[in-house]
Amino acid sequence: MKEFLKGNYKLKNVVKETAASEPSSTDEFEKKALSRLGGSICFVSKKGFLWKGEDRKADGSRQTDR
Amino acid sequence: MDLGRRIASRLEAATFERIAGVGLENAALNRPRIERSILELADVPLGEGDSAIVIGAGPSLHRRDSVARLRKSRYTGTIVAVDSALGACLRGGVVPHLVVSVDPQRERILRWFGRPALAAAPAEDYLRRLELDPTLATNEVAANRALIALVDAHGPRMRAAVATAAAPAVVARCEAAGIAMYWWNPMYDDYDAPDSVSRRLYEANGLPCLNGGGNVGTAAWVIAHAVLAKRRIGLVGIDFGYPPGTPYERTQYYPELREMFGERYAEAFIPVESPFVAEQWFTDPAYYWFRNVFLDMAQTADATTVNCTEGGVLHGPAVPLARLEDFLATVDGRE
Repeated sequence: MKEFLKGNYKLKNVVKETAASEPSSTDEFEKKALSRLGGSICFVSKKGFLWKGEDRKADGSRQTDR
Repeated sequence: MDLGRRIASRLEAATFERIAGVGLENAALNRPRIERSILELADVPLGEGDSAIVIGAGPSLHRRDSVARLRKSRYTGTIVAVDSALGACLRGGVVPHLVVSVDPQRERILRWFGRPALAAAPAEDYLRRLELDPTLATNEVAANRALIALVDAHGPRMRAAVATAAAPAVVARCEAAGIAMYWWNPMYDDYDAPDSVSRRLYEANGLPCLNGGGNVGTAAWVIAHAVLAKRRIGLVGIDFGYPPGTPYERTQYYPELREMFGERYAEAFIPVESPFVAEQWFTDPAYYWFRNVFLDMAQTADATTVNCTEGGVLHGPAVPLARLEDFLATVDGRE
């Protein structure tokens, strides 16, 4: 922000600007957690239960393309 | 939203990061052993009628004595068990028609089939710490030896639905025990997306891709209705949570949560009512995600699903609860 704002006075103390992209401790925790937690097989949202390829796209008993 | 639910909401992508690499490596290693597609199971007689029981290894399985009760019922429909419940089934006198194995982890999963080279209890406390199979946790070497004998004795009567991601050692163990294997690919990502891993895998081996819902229990349920075309499915041992009073250190992801969050680790656990037993259970982010995914998938499944686990946190409009005997009384002409 300091490249856009200029004052007509000088501060006695130096103000350290927090980097906007610096993650919070919670963000950092969650980022680490996500790399360690998770399942043994993926779940793909909005897709069917079984995909048999283009030739046999009607996949078994599934009625809707999830 | 609390910490546990926030983590759970982001585990779809995280699971891909966690398992895709090793899963694809295992698929390449398993390739020479792949002979049959899981689709061929549709023509194999696996129990009578249009119903199935899917057996998971949650704590309710032994707390409710579900295997013994299933045996006593003389149920003649299809029995599908996850790999971690195989020992409990065989010790209880129930030989599943189909056992499902998914996890690409290369050491732990072999224990569910009996690990031939186990001479001493391993340093890792995974089996001792969890309630997945208490028998295996008490005297690991003797229990492992007994499990090897059981799996070898009943292997030729069973079939295995094995993901191409499964550890090659598990595949070798099934082969040695005479368990006929039927293969499928885990659906890793959107097969319609550019550079889809699922599509590339399908093009490489021609096997169907199955949307597994995050865990082997859900994958077994998907197989029961989408592959075996079962229309009435009862679940046992599918808890997705922990009974009240379970110490946090005896939960599956405790080491990871403790390491990541330090003293804050308990904030990641989520309390959930278990109405069948009128108790408040709790779950962790991964199991909470499994639960939500299952409830979502159940809404569009072409099958009726009844949770006969008699505990746990899996319940909703598409997954009603019932006592095991009450469900069994409604299937296969028993009404």
